[in-house]
Amino acid sequence: MPPGALPMLILRVLHSGSLHGYAIAQRIHVLSSEVLAVEEGLLYPTLQKMLLKGWVTADWGVSETNRKVRFYKLTSQGRAQLKAELAGYDRITQAIQDILRTA
Amino acid sequence: MGELWRRISYLLNRRRLDAELESDMEFHREMAARAGQNNFGNTLRMREQSREAWGWTWLDRLLQDLNYGARILARSPGFTVLAVLILGIGIGVNVAAFSFFNMVALKLLPVRDAASIVRLERRSLDSYTSEMAYPSFAFYRDHARTLSASMAVLGIPPMQIDDDLQPFSASFVTPNFFTELGTPAAYGRLFTPSLDSSPSDPPSVVLSYGLWQHRFSGDPSIIGRTIHISKRPATVIGILPYDFASLGGSGPEIWMPMAQQPYFIQGSKVLTDWKDSSSRMWGRLAPGVTAKVAEQELRSLTHELRKQHPEAVWDENEYLQVTFGGHLQIMQPRMYQLAAMVGVLTLLILAVSCANLGGLMLARAVAREREIGIRIAIGAGRARILRQLFTESLMLASLGSAAGLGLGYVVMRVLLSFPNTPRWLSAFPDWRVMLFTIVITVLAAAFFGLAPALQIARQRQHKTIVRQILVAAQVAASCVLLIIAALLVRATQHVIYSDPGFGYEQLISIDPQLGRHGYSPEAARAYLQQMQTRLHAVPGITSVALVKLPPMGHIVSNSNVQINGRDVTLYPNWVEPGFFATMGIPLKTGRTFLPGEKHAVIVSESFARQQWPGQNPLGKQIGDTKDTVVGVAGDAHINALNDDDAAEQYWPAQADDMPGMVVVARAIGEPGSFAPAIKSISESLDPKALPEIRQIKLLYHENVSRLGMIATAVSAIGIVAVAMAGIGLIGLVAFTVSQRTKEIAIRIALGAKPIAVLSAVLRQFSWPVIIGLLLGTTAAALGSRLLRVVLYGVSNLDPIGYAAALLVLATIVAIAALLPARRALRLDVARTLHYD
Repeated sequence: MPPGALPMLILRVLHSGSLHGYAIAQRIHVLSSEVLAVEEGLLYPTLQKMLLKGWVTADWGVSETNRKVRFYKLTSQGRAQLKAELAGYDRITQAIQDILRTA
Repeated sequence: MGELWRRISYLLNRRRLDAELESDMEFHREMAARAGQNNFGNTLRMREQSREAWGWTWLDRLLQDLNYGARILARSPGFTVLAVLILGIGIGVNVAAFSFFNMVALKLLPVRDAASIVRLERRSLDSYTSEMAYPSFAFYRDHARTLSASMAVLGIPPMQIDDDLQPFSASFVTPNFFTELGTPAAYGRLFTPSLDSSPSDPPSVVLSYGLWQHRFSGDPSIIGRTIHISKRPATVIGILPYDFASLGGSGPEIWMPMAQQPYFIQGSKVLTDWKDSSSRMWGRLAPGVTAKVAEQELRSLTHELRKQHPEAVWDENEYLQVTFGGHLQIMQPRMYQLAAMVGVLTLLILAVSCANLGGLMLARAVAREREIGIRIAIGAGRARILRQLFTESLMLASLGSAAGLGLGYVVMRVLLSFPNTPRWLSAFPDWRVMLFTIVITVLAAAFFGLAPALQIARQRQHKTIVRQILVAAQVAASCVLLIIAALLVRATQHVIYSDPGFGYEQLISIDPQLGRHGYSPEAARAYLQQMQTRLHAVPGITSVALVKLPPMGHIVSNSNVQINGRDVTLYPNWVEPGFFATMGIPLKTGRTFLPGEKHAVIVSESFARQQWPGQNPLGKQIGDTKDTVVGVAGDAHINALNDDDAAEQYWPAQADDMPGMVVVARAIGEPGSFAPAIKSISESLDPKALPEIRQIKLLYHENVSRLGMIATAVSAIGIVAVAMAGIGLIGLVAFTVSQRTKEIAIRIALGAKPIAVLSAVLRQFSWPVIIGLLLGTTAAALGSRLLRVVLYGVSNLDPIGYAAALLVLATIVAIAALLPARRALRLDVARTLHYD
């Protein structure tokens, strides 16, 4: 996974609703057709950074296994960030593909 | 901004947040295990990594380091106390020196808008004075637009209150002086322009708090009462506050309004005389005006003044120098030089103490080899070890600087306990001193802690080169200190035991200040004539003469010139023929002046030698008016005791000089006992003129004792530095011996002679010591040129001073090296070699 992509993926996954940490990892794993595996050692530091930046907030909830756990939720700032990152990402991939096609 | 706040709230709630993070990750594990994925990562490590995102790990580490450092230091209290003591002295001396500089030159006076106050002084190419004629002051005050206010202070000789024997210092001030400074009265009122500007206002005085306390026992009812100031009745209108801050240092005890100067000093023309430079001028820069701009405007005003009153201005180069006046002391370039020199010396002491402590730390490093080795083995990085060690150094330095602050405070308290110290000064460190201490602390920690820390972190404790550099640095620094101390001691001895060129012991100077009392040249001549005749009649007075600038007088006139490429300070003086005999200055060749002689000059021996080397100076001509040299007098730096580059020129006093002349008398017996007789003579000649009678011997001793005090202080500091260097060396040599016991034992077992053993132990220190001595001597020789002015004629390369300093240093170093080295000779060879 290219560096810096994980926050964008997390933002995107949370866009459709709040999730707990494990579910975020699972969702990315499943949606990427099991290509991308998000390790704990990367996921939680990234989540802490995003909390600090104010892109997400964490609230207590109850998991499907009936355990008290924190659910991460997108903030309006996070939504704006996602938009910006997506736009940037689109531009870059477009540029890369242009080169790959024509060079 | 939001992110910063969140960060801080993370710091405050880190316990809860850490628990939440832990719960998150635990849940993750549970779910992963359920899904059949096994994760063997270190949970603790991962949590730490996550926490790193909060950005507070450095704080955790710092706390860990502090905790650990405190334990280490507490475990070896002997080392810690010694280190704090060494550093406390090194830092304390610097803090004390800086506190003093801060008090004198950085702290603003506690007066209204001190930052805009300036001092105005007359300057020209070769003359300067800090005083100007009162009419000139009034001219500048009325015309300067760059100054929003101008104040003048006219200092006068001490005045008598009622019938007291002891006179009190006194000054006249312009009525806006206290209002401009924003000084409130402790009792009554102070001068105001509306009430005290006119000579017709009722005569009034303001008293200092101290005078009011001692002379009037703090009685508030003194306000409104009439007292006599040197026989003139005046009303006490107010008392200055206890902590009054005057401009330019401490103020006088009696204050009177400028406008009433002719009332208090009968017959005086000071307020109208364009030639009597006696008022100090202070100003307040108008808003937005810089000193440079003000200087520009005042320069053109001086040109204008020269057109209107040529007698008030020296020449076309004269201008008013504008210097910042809102500090305790008006700093002259020479003072900054002196301050820089003192700063270098105190930093040298810090260098000695740091090098010393560095050596101790290195020796300790070997003892801590195992501990550090274990920490590296279990995964501590070099950077982490370095940080830990530096934290320890900083802790030591902080303890040391706390001790240093205490020492600095004590020194300041002692200084402020001297009489005449303004009351508003405080010994307590302000923010500048605190900031300085912090900077010095970090610098010290870097200096003594960094080299050992680097060696330890790289596991190279046994390398000797750093130790050698530290020894060389200590020896060099203490060498400089000792040499300078030796030079100052030599200077003191020189002044005490050598002849100043004139017989100061039996001299009295009597200054009737006739000019200030409005005497014409003729009247002054008559007065002085009578005074001299009457003095001659006093039994015990053997000789009397007139001189314009008496020894160690209030006015000093000099000019700097170059003679044959050498800088010389010329001290001109105007004297009567009998001056040389009265002063006890020998005439080497030629003769003294003839009565009424003009266009003649007598020069000092050193002037003649430099101006006309190898020629007969008699008959040569000097000066603008081509005056002929009629005699050569012995060197007598009567107004420049400490200036070896001084040379004197004496001109015959003319009729116009009479109102400014001072009487010098030579007496047999105790000069102080003649004061009553002289007083009664002056009373009968003119009761209005109250001459200032001074014993030259006392002034001379005051001058010398000041130098003696400086020499003592510097010697004490030098000895402390050398003692520290000695202790440091003892430690290092002892450590080397203990490190090399086995090698030494083998050498002895194989039959080495004691000398060979000693040289094996000491060889690694001999080069650093020699290099340190050479460096120190060179630095002292180069640096001490700045000292010339306080060396009272002793050369800054004085061989005896250098030899003495080097001898003392070499002895101490030798003892410090040999004392522990002897242990090597008394080794129990058999046991040492059997051991492990």
